[in-house]
Amino acid sequence: MDEKPFRASLGSRASDMSSPEDIRNLWTRATLSQPKLNGPWSSVGEDSDMEGSSVGSKSRPWYNQKARGDSDGIWEEWDIREDKDSFKQEDLDKPSLLELELSRARSLGSRLEEQDGDSKESKTDTEMSSSESSLNISKHTPHRAYWMEQQNRLPLPLMDLMENEALEILTKALRSYRSGIGRDHFLTKQLQRYIEGLRRRRNKRLRLLMQ
Amino acid sequence: MKAMMKLKQGSFLWYLYLDKLYCLLSVRNVKALLEYFHLLDVHRNNTLNDVLFYHFLHHVTSWNRTQIMIVFNMLDWNAVGEIGFDQFYMLVCILLAQQNHLEEQFIFRHSRPVFELLDLDGALRIGAENFHMYNFLFNIKKEDLRELYHDFDITGDRRLNYKEFKLFTIFTMDKYQERQKAEKEKGKKDLLKKKKLHHVNVTLKQFFGTNVSENRL
Repeated sequence: MDEKPFRASLGSRASDMSSPEDIRNLWTRATLSQPKLNGPWSSVGEDSDMEGSSVGSKSRPWYNQKARGDSDGIWEEWDIREDKDSFKQEDLDKPSLLELELSRARSLGSRLEEQDGDSKESKTDTEMSSSESSLNISKHTPHRAYWMEQQNRLPLPLMDLMENEALEILTKALRSYRSGIGRDHFLTKQLQRYIEGLRRRRNKRLRLLMQ
Repeated sequence: MKAMMKLKQGSFLWYLYLDKLYCLLSVRNVKALLEYFHLLDVHRNNTLNDVLFYHFLHHVTSWNRTQIMIVFNMLDWNAVGEIGFDQFYMLVCILLAQQNHLEEQFIFRHSRPVFELLDLDGALRIGAENFHMYNFLFNIKKEDLRELYHDFDITGDRRLNYKEFKLFTIFTMDKYQERQKAEKEKGKKDLLKKKKLHHVNVTLKQFFGTNVSENRL
């Protein structure tokens, strides 16, 4: 018990900040991918290539979150399943409809190498019924993104409480800054901008709730 | 200086809780606390300066300015003028231990970090003045302090080294557990007494109730 229990790991603030954006990208790609399923599979791979590049496509941003408390097992399982599926796609001559659709859905936000392999393979595959495939993808992709988001984000009421309290504390701190170092000091201005940003976020959330 | 600190009801910290055995936060609580820390980290240094720290503690606790600055100087063990998340986490654990009356357990479980906090000058010894200064943090009463130096200062230098301090925490923990046990026993006896009293009252009511109705007839 005496062995440094207070070594709380901050983790990478950058990765913390990037993870919500990655999940939101997954959401946006999930909705964008549906209309494109009417066309050939190769176009889907190309589109996800373009979108993936903005997130640092080669690095698999979701899969890097292995050191996150309770969701460790889920992230690792995701990795293992992803590797197995890519292996299967290379080996099978005619992958089943469901497997192919699932693998397409998973690869939408991920590695370029896999997407290249898929796009090559898709050219040799026969055409599939687009309505059936779109249903299956819409069934699987949003749910995964939803659960991944749930694993990482704090509940909204808790965020609300924290932000309101932080706003009160920082507003009082701003008065101290102004009286201590003056209104024109860059730290005072930084704090003021931060408080305004926080207030805007809170008002936006309140407006959404009221609607 | 006030000895008992109270967290502001409805504040974020008020909703957190310590594990009663190890006196630490759960992973989920730490995650939420980290998010809260980052909300207060206005200048994106992963730290809180003295002004932000003061306003935070002033908002959530009943401590005055002197007490808050004592705590800040204690936690700023690197003397950089800012508090990082490690120190913030420790502070929150101390606050929650006080709020939930787990001070003895906390000092017992984390005797080394507490000793290092109290050992301001790094002499590996704590004098009575250190204890007295941080009395409001760990809620150590004056009588306990006298007893501490009388019974546990084995080397006789009127200061406690870590081993002497550890003995003190074990002794305090034993006393705390005995007190809990005694309170539990007392609680059980009181409950039994109340039940008996209730039973007697019900019987009496029934008895007088039937008697009264017969007289009327």
